[in-house]
Amino acid sequence: MNRNVDLEQEGIEIKKSCCYFCHQNCGVNAYVKDGKVLAIEGDPDFPTNTGGLCCRGNIALLHLDHPERINYPLKRVGKKGEGKWEQIPWDQAISEIAAKLAAIRDEFGAEAVATAGGTQRTDDWARRRFMNLFGSPNGFHNALLCWIPTFMVETAVCGWSPFEIDLGSSKCLVLWGQNPGASSMPEMHHLTELREKGLKIIVIDPRFTETAAKCDMWLPVRPGSDLALALAWLNVILYEGLYDPDFVENQCVGFGELFAHVEQFTPEWAEPLTWIPAEQIRESARMYAMNRPGNIQWGTACDQQGKPSGALMHARALLRAVTGNLDAPGSDLLTGPSLEYITDEEMEGNEFLKDEQKAKQIGADKFKLCTWPGYSKICETTKKVWGKVPTAEWMCEAHAPSVFRAILTGEPYQVKAMIVNATNPINSYGESKLTLEALRKVDFLVTCDYWMTPTAVLSDYVLPIAGALERPTITSSYGCTDFLLASQRAIQPMYERRNDYNFWKDLGVALGQAEHWPWETVEDAYFAKIEPLGYGTENYDQFVEWYRFHFPEREYQKYLRQGFATPSGKVELYSSILEELGYPPMPEYTGPAENENDNPELAQEYPLVLSTGNGFMPFHHSEHFNIRSVRYINHEPHFQINPETAKEYGIKENDWVWIETKRGRIKQRADVTQAVAPKVIITERGWWFPERDINEPVLGGCLESNTNVLTSTSDEDCDPISGTWANRGLLCKIYKVDGKEGK
Amino acid sequence: MARYAMVMDTRACVGCQSCTVACRTHNNLPVDMMYNPVTTVGPEGVFPDLHMIHIPLICMHCENTPCVDACPTGASQRRDDGIIFVEEKKCVSCKACVMACPYGARVCNHEKGVIQKCDFCMDRVDKGNVPRCVQTCHQKARTFGDLDDPNSEVSKLIKKHNAVRLLGELGTEPYVFYIGLEAQIR
Ligand code: SF4
Ligand code: SF4
Ligand code: SF4
Repeated sequence: MNRNVDLEQEGIEIKKSCCYFCHQNCGVNAYVKDGKVLAIEGDPDFPTNTGGLCCRGNIALLHLDHPERINYPLKRVGKKGEGKWEQIPWDQAISEIAAKLAAIRDEFGAEAVATAGGTQRTDDWARRRFMNLFGSPNGFHNALLCWIPTFMVETAVCGWSPFEIDLGSSKCLVLWGQNPGASSMPEMHHLTELREKGLKIIVIDPRFTETAAKCDMWLPVRPGSDLALALAWLNVILYEGLYDPDFVENQCVGFGELFAHVEQFTPEWAEPLTWIPAEQIRESARMYAMNRPGNIQWGTACDQQGKPSGALMHARALLRAVTGNLDAPGSDLLTGPSLEYITDEEMEGNEFLKDEQKAKQIGADKFKLCTWPGYSKICETTKKVWGKVPTAEWMCEAHAPSVFRAILTGEPYQVKAMIVNATNPINSYGESKLTLEALRKVDFLVTCDYWMTPTAVLSDYVLPIAGALERPTITSSYGCTDFLLASQRAIQPMYERRNDYNFWKDLGVALGQAEHWPWETVEDAYFAKIEPLGYGTENYDQFVEWYRFHFPEREYQKYLRQGFATPSGKVELYSSILEELGYPPMPEYTGPAENENDNPELAQEYPLVLSTGNGFMPFHHSEHFNIRSVRYINHEPHFQINPETAKEYGIKENDWVWIETKRGRIKQRADVTQAVAPKVIITERGWWFPERDINEPVLGGCLESNTNVLTSTSDEDCDPISGTWANRGLLCKIYKVDGKEGK
Repeated sequence: MARYAMVMDTRACVGCQSCTVACRTHNNLPVDMMYNPVTTVGPEGVFPDLHMIHIPLICMHCENTPCVDACPTGASQRRDDGIIFVEEKKCVSCKACVMACPYGARVCNHEKGVIQKCDFCMDRVDKGNVPRCVQTCHQKARTFGDLDDPNSEVSKLIKKHNAVRLLGELGTEPYVFYIGLEAQIR
């Protein structure tokens, strides 16, 4: 939107598009004339953002035609990473890539081809469909760091993930490791309003965030110690009799076992682990349990702690269950999958992947819940009760760090090719040095992206992908909820960009999958999904123009009618699914991946507690660093450190400081602030420097300030249940960057 | 005649700077220029007893305008509806107004050699829209409207929350009002 653009001129059409710079997918009105977007504005009629757009959303036009965007298919002509490219036609790119993949499949098996994805920015069902038809079980996302373990643990315990919160009549909301004030902007607004009407908000976060500043109780937990807190909450709620006896008696199994199990986890026990006074643990547990109905909202922090993550999600799920805060008005809702439209899972074609290939999925032997063993079990029960199953893409994937290791070691077998889509693994996956080595080493690398990232530059082919305004979008929370929000493209893709859907389809067709890709355009595919809804529109765009949303009527307490989708039909406080997979049926205490109690020697060398995962405005993961209009807001990397600790180390505001774990070191500038506890270091993630040389060996400075250099993906630091790796609750040391090393 | 005002609810603002970016895009400002910075005060206190507040700043569209008074060429003007604006072709960039404004609301556009400032998006307001920063704010922390209309949202908010003006003691009588300052700055 620009005041010099006349929006009343003739021939302007308003397209109902959306923003795609995070997966809130805020509604956008795009003013289009002659195939050009003249202006955009938040759509006031869109139910989530009601006209709002964050700073990223507002730069959509700069993103659309940024001079650094990749606009044509590129083929490497020099050495890998050297930056010599030849522009080639799409057809040539597709047929050459297909030929290479076919050759790899013939020689090493389909499983030697892996694909990596990022956050939900793409038509992932299409990628899954391609992989299933191709025969490889080795697709993955950063999904294990983001909701997927939570979804699967919760589904194991209570038959679906209560992903939807019913805040209207809720009395208490627990934001556990979540900061909607910076990450779910549209939602934050409702929280402020509801709080004025009496909603109590508890924020659990080691950092005093935008959201913590506006809550009723802030619990600054030691990074990575959330499990101890959750167990202590269970102890308080059960032993002070604050649970819901009716719900527990009629809807749960295993209450006696749980009661005995949590006796040991008193607030006094948790105090030294969590750094939260026992009395405050009591008070907060009471606040949640006594203000019913209530919600515990999902937050990524719990998925990112590695070793204790699975047990933490489990304990959190039990908190909801014992308080009866499940699928009742004002509590966490179990929507189940949509029976009215075709879900992502039904588009994925999981039936095409043979059992013998499923068995080869990397990581499935070690981390069983979010891979084929656990996913199949969950599908059995959800199918029986809901009639449908969760999306496999995201919920059932190869273990990313293990795939990168397989490239380097050839164990359990050789992985020869990697297709990277909407992610920059060097910055976004764990242990960056290892990831980078894997990407350097892999035989064949293809990247689909908007920008020449440190990952893209190492590729054999880089393909230009259409962005928000150039593609339609359906939002249905990874296909795991029952509503949908639909947006259309404002314009056809500029230059030679294409949707990722077209990439997978074209590649599939080139590899002989033609009969399984009946939808010419992505709109056709979306229309096939929504046609059963019966709105009677003739095509997808018409649906968007006339209806745009589908919100089914809400039915509470479905368990009274159909039970819970678990083997026993009840909420399993003692989880039979986890037990059968070989995991503790009730959450056991495990310390954070690295901590002073379990690793005293390590703590001597690395005395500070590190958390690396949190996102921060104005960036989304490792994206938007190229765009000056956003970057100026925060143009250099910063970490947070308490003044007391800063003083101890002689560090002043804005000093460049090395932060080091046993895996490596990075430098960021000091933000000396009371927002974090003494001894805690919180880094910003995502950092790379597109303004530097992107080619080898500089690679945009992708290791220099990249917090993932510090994280751990070793098998023993990963959560045994889900495989999520350790971003939080690590040990580090810091020291000032010496003048010569500074910038 | 309307009398335009804006209310900033600091209880809702999260300091995301969407308004800053939206404004710059709308007004075509260079990257280093902004009409409406958002300042963060805090976190103050000692861990873990902290508070923090974000205060969006813009031109206050004062009733008594030191900036207009200081302008030697008549470039700085007030409309009948209270909007203060700069007529760029009359501006000689002498910076008298920049010095005069106690709120730091005026910025020099070095590319164009003129002084610029927030004008409540009068291009939009004249067409019945709200200023761009108001529309873009996810948190609905900004409300715009006619103070002369007792039923307008701004009038109601100001009354209900006893909204305050910044640097009230200077007597510039700004038409930008703030909610939640006292409660949060301790
Ligand atoms: S980036 Fe901002 S505007 Fe875009 S979808 Fe996310 S919150 Fe909405
Ligand atoms: S857009 Fe709204 S919430 Fe964000 S900084 Fe501006 S006024 Fe505050
Ligand atoms: S805030 Fe400054 S520029 Fe705006 S009207 Fe007042 S004195 Fe003038």
